[in-house]
Amino acid sequence: MWVYITRRLLWLPVLLLMVSAVTFVLGTYGPGDPVRVMLGTKYDEDTADRLRSSLGLDRPIVVQYIDYVSGAIRGDFGESLRYRGRSVGSLLASKMWVSFQVNLAAMVVSLSIGLPLGFWIARHQGSWIDPAAISFTLVLMSIPIMVSIPIVLWALCLKLSWVPCSGWGGFFDLRIVVPAITMGVPGVAGLARLMRASTLDVFGQDFVRTARAKGLSESTIDIRHVLRNAIIPIITILSFSLAGMLTTGFITERLLGIPGVGDFAIQAIFNRDYPVIMAFTMILSAAFVVANLLADIAYSLIDPRIRLS
Amino acid sequence: MTKNFLFGFLFSVLLIGLVACGQPAVGKAVGDSGSSDSGSSEVVNQSSGLEDSAPKTGAEKSSATKSELKTLADVSEQPSGVFNRLWSDPPTLDPHLTSDTTSAGVVVEIFGGLVGFDTNLQLIPDLADSWDVSTDGLTYTFKIRENAAFHDGTKVTAGDFKWSLERAVNPDTASPTAKTYLGDIVGVEDVLEGRGSEIRGVKAVDDVTLQIQIDAPKAYFLAKLTYPTAYVVDKNNVSEGGLNWTDNPNGTGPFRLTDYKIGERIILERNDLYHLEKAKLAKIQMNLAGGSSMAMYENDEIDITGVGLFDLERIKDPGDPLNGDLVVAEPGYSVNYIGFNVEQPPFDDPKFRRALNHAIDKELIAREVYSDLVVPAYGILPPGFPGFNESLEGLRHDPVLAKKLLSESKYADPVSRPRIVVTIPGTGGTPGLDLEVIINMWLETLGVEVEIQQVEWATYLKDLDEEKFQAFGGLGWEADYPDPQDFLDILFHSDSENNHGLYSNQEADVLLEDARVETDSVRRIDLYQNAEEIIVNDAAWVPLWFAGERHVLIKPYVKGYELTPMTMSKMRYVYIED
Repeated sequence: MWVYITRRLLWLPVLLLMVSAVTFVLGTYGPGDPVRVMLGTKYDEDTADRLRSSLGLDRPIVVQYIDYVSGAIRGDFGESLRYRGRSVGSLLASKMWVSFQVNLAAMVVSLSIGLPLGFWIARHQGSWIDPAAISFTLVLMSIPIMVSIPIVLWALCLKLSWVPCSGWGGFFDLRIVVPAITMGVPGVAGLARLMRASTLDVFGQDFVRTARAKGLSESTIDIRHVLRNAIIPIITILSFSLAGMLTTGFITERLLGIPGVGDFAIQAIFNRDYPVIMAFTMILSAAFVVANLLADIAYSLIDPRIRLS
Repeated sequence: MTKNFLFGFLFSVLLIGLVACGQPAVGKAVGDSGSSDSGSSEVVNQSSGLEDSAPKTGAEKSSATKSELKTLADVSEQPSGVFNRLWSDPPTLDPHLTSDTTSAGVVVEIFGGLVGFDTNLQLIPDLADSWDVSTDGLTYTFKIRENAAFHDGTKVTAGDFKWSLERAVNPDTASPTAKTYLGDIVGVEDVLEGRGSEIRGVKAVDDVTLQIQIDAPKAYFLAKLTYPTAYVVDKNNVSEGGLNWTDNPNGTGPFRLTDYKIGERIILERNDLYHLEKAKLAKIQMNLAGGSSMAMYENDEIDITGVGLFDLERIKDPGDPLNGDLVVAEPGYSVNYIGFNVEQPPFDDPKFRRALNHAIDKELIAREVYSDLVVPAYGILPPGFPGFNESLEGLRHDPVLAKKLLSESKYADPVSRPRIVVTIPGTGGTPGLDLEVIINMWLETLGVEVEIQQVEWATYLKDLDEEKFQAFGGLGWEADYPDPQDFLDILFHSDSENNHGLYSNQEADVLLEDARVETDSVRRIDLYQNAEEIIVNDAAWVPLWFAGERHVLIKPYVKGYELTPMTMSKMRYVYIED
């Protein structure tokens, strides 16, 4: 297995090089240029030319690319073109860290509702509870975030005054409640269904029947045998979503005042802030590769029938 | 075509990344609810110049230290109170790189220059306490204030100003605004072009005397010096601080930057050494994380917010609890318009352009679509702006005349008339109700069919420069300094790079050129008004709207906050009353 993991990791730099080359070429040859956006509606060709040469954007693309890659290898992603004089690495790191914390809080909400709910639904398979609860979670999932956020804000912030309306104060700040709820609740539907399916699967297994035949109490069977085994596939699926946890949607961010990476990346695209776009694409690509690898490893650990080679 | 496709692909790859965690992706950005401009907020936000058209306001809990320091001593000497507002991440805090209102709004409180504006837009001394202009209007001699000092107590000298101006125009600094604001100074062009690093026209005669020479007498030169590009910075601060020197700026403004966390907050505290009237506030907290401005205001998290079209009706109701906080301010200095490319058919025919102008009922749109949040524009210069011509008739709504002009034009025949497209910036949202109504008015009054095309902002700017558009909308022009030259000369002179419609009228050019060097201020205004009339009657544009009165909510305990049509240092006048 170690050979397999090493081989996968060795491919990572090759993949990143390809991603960076494609992004770089598309960015450079795409319409619009960062200097033009910097100058806004007030245009002046001399100034634009001067800025391009000061920022090194008038050099041949190959030179620019080599310069970029050699910097990136040393961990230097360059300077932002919009936030002049700021290093892209530190900008992105701080924004992604915020997004990660928000996603973590949302995941806590999804898990703490979704798992018990899925299990409970599975226990009531065949009764009206099963379809009713699943439909209800689907309805919750289908409410767009720009509808759910104002409703939750109105209730928790304006009516009840339990939490501030927006802003960011870290993971242990009250202001994380609204994003955690609005982003976590839609995730309940998927998790509950997964948990339901996985629980039902375990219910049908021989060892559960054996346990029951041995006369163990229902609660002991549930906790010791069913729950434990039902959660395993869910954990592997969660490791897939690790990469996605580095970003948050810009709508949520704007409505709730979260300084995450989503809005930042969108703005970078609109402003043609190439260094930021490049770094963002590469970090996400790397994260997806690593997350997939983790998921593969998790699978093989859990299910010995899968061999990594 | 291929390029666009490729770029779209790149864009979608990134979007997939953003959406990966299950967020719905929507093409159009959700606007700040505090923003008061409805149609063209993107454009207005991108261009430089003014603030307060949409004060994005707010911050942490406002209760903080409302009345800590209250002694019997002079209240103005004892800073007290915290002002909370919402702000966006400033692209830069380096005065010499500043070109947008978000940056300028913070920079003007931390740094300062030779001269500034007061809240009535009158030129006032800042670090210079007096100045002389030579009789030929070419040489300005400034006397630097005795007590002018940086935040750390170092005295500000004429040499500091010389160094700062030379840094601003040095190609290595890559300032986007150096040419606009300092280009009139003799020798600046040479430094910009990389021929030497000293500006010939700037002399530090002694520690307190600074002499600046400009290339021609220009009445608006002093006004240009109020912009951050001309501010003084501390040489040691800049050279020792490296790239991120603005994290610990040593400025001369009424406030010091004490905390800055990107995306989270900016904290400004009073500068006790300030050379003019010291600030009354102890602290300004700017929340950079954003959020629903109205909700934050109602929840007492911020002390000021703009009111958008959708909240306005509720708040105008005298029964609403927020009604008492409503402050209605003078319009900002900006104008929205539809530009015509006068070299492309059918806009090469002035009669056709005038017909389109006369066919629009702007009063109706302003009233019904914008609830009077905008003022119909018939000229170019905004109300209250120097040179504004109240008696300018313009091309008013006149369907009969419009039809007559159309029938006299080269494009009277709908069959041979070219296809007409108005291009606006945007990414997939609605084009703005005003444009839809206007296009409908053209169709109903004149039978002229016009299509709308949306182009993403960066591409739009590029195509605008290349004069690719037949007609272009969704644009606003905001003043950089209060002088008609900033509108008329820059937008309509035949040689101006910002004349995207390629409008050219020799008579107007001569008037604009004369006005540049006219020293008599009354005659100068006359020249501009004549030029404006020619431009308007040639229908180079459809001038659409001046930003109307701005509606802003300010907490009743906040006193002395003036809503100004331009960015200027004004937070030092604000105080919190218990």
